[in-house]
Amino acid sequence: MKTSNSYTTIAYLFLAPALILMGVLTFWPVGYNTYLAFQDYSIADGSSTWNNFANFKYIAHEDLFWSALKNSLLYLLIVPVIQLAALVVAKMVNNKLPGMTLFRALFYIPVITSISIAGVVWANVYKYDGVLTWLLQSLGILHDQVNWLGEPSIALYMLMIFTFWKGIGYYMVLYLAGLQAIPSEVEEAAILDGANAFQRFWKITVPMVKPTILLCTLLSTIAAIKVYLEVIVLTKGQADTYTALFYVYDQAFRNYNFGRAAAAGVVVTFFCVLLAVIQFRMFGDDKK
Amino acid sequence: MKLKKMLAVGAVVFGFASVYAQADTELEFWTMNLAPKFNDYFNKSVADFNKANPGLTAKWVDMNWDQIQPKLIASIAAGNPPALVNFNVPWVHDFAAQGNILPVDQYMGAAKNNYSVGAIKDVTVNGKVYAFPWYNSVSIIAYNKDILAKAGVKTAPKNFDEFVNDGKQITAKTGVPAYAPKLGNFVGWFYYAGLPVVENGKAVFNSPKHVAFVQKFADLYKAGVMPKDVFKVEFEQEIAAYNSGKIAMMTTAPQALKRTETDAKDIYAKTGVAKFPVDAGKMAFGAWLMDFVIPKGTKDPAAAGKLGVFLTNDQSQVAFSKATETTFPSTKKGNLDPYFQAGAKSADPVEAGRAAAAASMDNARTLTIPPGVLPDEAAMTKKLQDEIQDAVEGRKPVKAALDEAVAAWNEKLKK
Repeated sequence: MKTSNSYTTIAYLFLAPALILMGVLTFWPVGYNTYLAFQDYSIADGSSTWNNFANFKYIAHEDLFWSALKNSLLYLLIVPVIQLAALVVAKMVNNKLPGMTLFRALFYIPVITSISIAGVVWANVYKYDGVLTWLLQSLGILHDQVNWLGEPSIALYMLMIFTFWKGIGYYMVLYLAGLQAIPSEVEEAAILDGANAFQRFWKITVPMVKPTILLCTLLSTIAAIKVYLEVIVLTKGQADTYTALFYVYDQAFRNYNFGRAAAAGVVVTFFCVLLAVIQFRMFGDDKK
Repeated sequence: MKLKKMLAVGAVVFGFASVYAQADTELEFWTMNLAPKFNDYFNKSVADFNKANPGLTAKWVDMNWDQIQPKLIASIAAGNPPALVNFNVPWVHDFAAQGNILPVDQYMGAAKNNYSVGAIKDVTVNGKVYAFPWYNSVSIIAYNKDILAKAGVKTAPKNFDEFVNDGKQITAKTGVPAYAPKLGNFVGWFYYAGLPVVENGKAVFNSPKHVAFVQKFADLYKAGVMPKDVFKVEFEQEIAAYNSGKIAMMTTAPQALKRTETDAKDIYAKTGVAKFPVDAGKMAFGAWLMDFVIPKGTKDPAAAGKLGVFLTNDQSQVAFSKATETTFPSTKKGNLDPYFQAGAKSADPVEAGRAAAAASMDNARTLTIPPGVLPDEAAMTKKLQDEIQDAVEGRKPVKAALDEAVAAWNEKLKK
């Protein structure tokens, strides 16, 4: 007979491999980063000294950081759009019609495509004489050539469309898993009661996949605030598409100012946590 | 007993080692990213040096560029730095200011006159030379003869104003954008034009001359002489645009022509080559000098200097350029070698390109602000580039854009 004490020990033993990896690769870097945010770090000899919040004071007065943070927060606009679209698409491919597997696969291909390759392709879509201009011109919607990634007023939204294309399949798969957990009887009963498709979607599907919605919005919010790869491959921060993590990268690897980069990273993390809390309040289970 | 024995053996071994070290000074030199492609060149070079210098043993170590600085700092701290290290120009200024590398004037001696003027200027900090200039490259112009003929442009531009006017003429007559020069480092363009960027700790790039210079680019952009996405153009994009006939001229490193040769044979057949013209700055565009420095604390700096002179003399540099096929010597005579000059009258663009670049090498300067001048280089460069882009693409008057960038720079420089 095992005591509950040894039971706990064994449980921790099983957790240990994962915990050690997470500790080394996640918790330690996060902790050290936070520590660095309050330090002057010298890359030459690895020494660091307390600097009385100088890094935070610096970025507080840095226009570039605030405009970068503004762009990262603006990027959140993509979250509701991509979530609703992914749920609708998941709903559509969640039936037993022939060929559905193909559609599911098609939506998922962008997810597994390397972002650098997708970036090259989309750079040609967005080129001023590229595919998008050509398409809109042949439809008669557009007259002049538009430098899609060069105009500060639209470039960031063009990146969002890229993110949408790249990410929708990922959330679709998560929603699909959520949808398949809904027993078909519920929907059948609603049909018998005369509920139309729209009503069934809002009254049955959405409430029943609420946990998945929470997970997906959370993931997509964090991804949006951390947007960086899209910017690197498509605009390099030109045309008002400079984002908060781009600032972090520039400070760390172009200025070698790791303390300031860490401080900026901490500010970004703060916004991530803040939004996560809000989302848990909105979509989480109310355990009153 | 055992311990005593071990100590004794240790002392003997150590004694031998020190005798050995005295007998033969090992000169380790580090290069960046050259192995294994150039193993043959370096093995031969090391053998030649060792043969000619009894008592000295050169040892080649290659590493990735991002390892050089941390390893060097660690080795200086540990008291056993290598004899020579391959640096770029910004690093030379950085380390010279820190006092972590030695001035090399005395070790260079008369050999100083062998190097091109621009190269020596690149590695001079506060009047002292801090590195042995090594390989370099420079931009040339490659042009589509058909398009230039159609536009009535007979010869390649000889100065920057001709470059501007020819561009306008080409686009006006043919409708093809004339060129897509890389604008990603506009500080370099100011230097090229002989215009100062920072003077006495203050940003000064909003003078009428600066405004007029940037205005030229704005006019070119407006007239369609540069493609709409010129600010996104880098090495690859420029080659692609030229190879597909979308621009009339390429303003790039000579090795780009090799890509035209393999990827766009019909364009290559009608390609002409010329020097990239110099402007008031008297600087050839597109250079990035590599060099060797002597770290502080190296055991025998004079011997290190000997190796430095050897690795960067005419003969070594020409041999290295032949091995790379894409780089150029930083010595005056090196660029006069038949290997480079043979192409001067050649109809083959790659050979002509080599000759054109070699002819520009004496003016080759690495056009960057030395590290340490800008307190927040990433943010300041970004500000300048954003304002320049707004000005050139016509979203803002040039004067207003430069004023704003200067104000932002000065606020940071003040701190």
